[in-house]
Amino acid sequence: MTCDQLRQDYTSYALGIAEDPERSEIAGHLARNCPECISGMASAMATVTAISGAVPIKDPPKDLRKRIMATVRKAPRRSRAAVFLPWAITAAMSIALVAIGVSGRRQIGDTARLQRALSILNDPATRDVSFGETEKPSKGRVFVSPKGVVLIAAGLPRIDTNRTFELWLIPAKGNPVPSGLFQSLPDATAVFVRLGPIDPGLTGKGAAVAVTVEPEGGSKQPTTTPFIVTKL
Amino acid sequence: MMIPGIFLALQMSADHDQSLAIRLQRRDPEAMGDLYDRFGRMAYSVILAIVRDAAIAEDLLQETFLRVWNRVHAFEAGRGAIGPWLLAIARNRAIDHLRSIGARMDRNSYELDVREHPSLFVDMEREVLNTDHARLIGKAISKLSADQRKVIEMAYYEGLSQTEMAERMGEPLGTVKTWVRAALKNLREALGQAVAA
Repeated sequence: MTCDQLRQDYTSYALGIAEDPERSEIAGHLARNCPECISGMASAMATVTAISGAVPIKDPPKDLRKRIMATVRKAPRRSRAAVFLPWAITAAMSIALVAIGVSGRRQIGDTARLQRALSILNDPATRDVSFGETEKPSKGRVFVSPKGVVLIAAGLPRIDTNRTFELWLIPAKGNPVPSGLFQSLPDATAVFVRLGPIDPGLTGKGAAVAVTVEPEGGSKQPTTTPFIVTKL
Repeated sequence: MMIPGIFLALQMSADHDQSLAIRLQRRDPEAMGDLYDRFGRMAYSVILAIVRDAAIAEDLLQETFLRVWNRVHAFEAGRGAIGPWLLAIARNRAIDHLRSIGARMDRNSYELDVREHPSLFVDMEREVLNTDHARLIGKAISKLSADQRKVIEMAYYEGLSQTEMAERMGEPLGTVKTWVRAALKNLREALGQAVAA
């Protein structure tokens, strides 16, 4: 859908009540850093803010200020990396969840899985690195923590149906370790999550991440040149 | 040239908010107290209006301020509107609470993150929270048709999706969408927003 078609639903999205297809379309535009949709969303947020400003004022208990101050003083200082995901990645993750938003048990399972993925993104021990920021067509970001790996990518190459993308974690010394297979969505994007303990040697100094195209079922060692390779 | 008092007051409050954000980023706990004094009542009122339980509202307000404290590094202190950002976080916490107790899993934390992303609060009009705007919005809401007002209340205070509203009201989804769009258009026009957002 075009920005023009989506414009009338920006405020619904800002309120959190937009429905598909508009909801996922707006999320898609935001994930692509669409300037018109970002500007429209900012304006829509101003409308929502104005509604909040019109809510009748009630006084909180007098000791609440003190309690909040105490909570803040006790709060551990968090790393910058754990503070906020970049705009486009946040929007892309939103789309990924919308995409799996099917009913029944699977939704609960997928949601729980992605909540665990979020815990990887928010883990202070997580190391993350962007790739493809210059001339490469595939762009994205990889997050690696002792709890697992999250890869978010766009502009992935088209591959035959009997091929698959394979993620590799590469220690400073030693062979690449196969770390999961994934496919892209029709719009050439992918969000891959691998949950489970990661060997510390694969996340330490000098370690790297790579993605190759492999035969269906994956390979024990890369059989093609990685089209994504980046040091952690 | 004489500067009208109201503009001077707005400029002072904008400067104050900017320095508040910078102090928060420098991890000055007293800045959190100042933020509370400035926006705490409003944020509490938003949360209470949604969850309708004082004890829960207090917990969620604490969560809201803690979230601001933990995320303020990403906020653009020079251009961001910290009050609107805090209110968005407050409403999201309250709606998220309602959804969690209602086992409504159709929305997700990433989408909440999108709606409270600091980049959406850059260069937001400082006066969006002033009493004139509150009066304009209040008046515009009172002028909506009964159905339009109902859907806006269900949207803002309950965070119901339009499908959920349609089910509750026993109306087709298309009809509800039309009411929502018309109501929000009226509210935007009342605020005099040029962009049809």
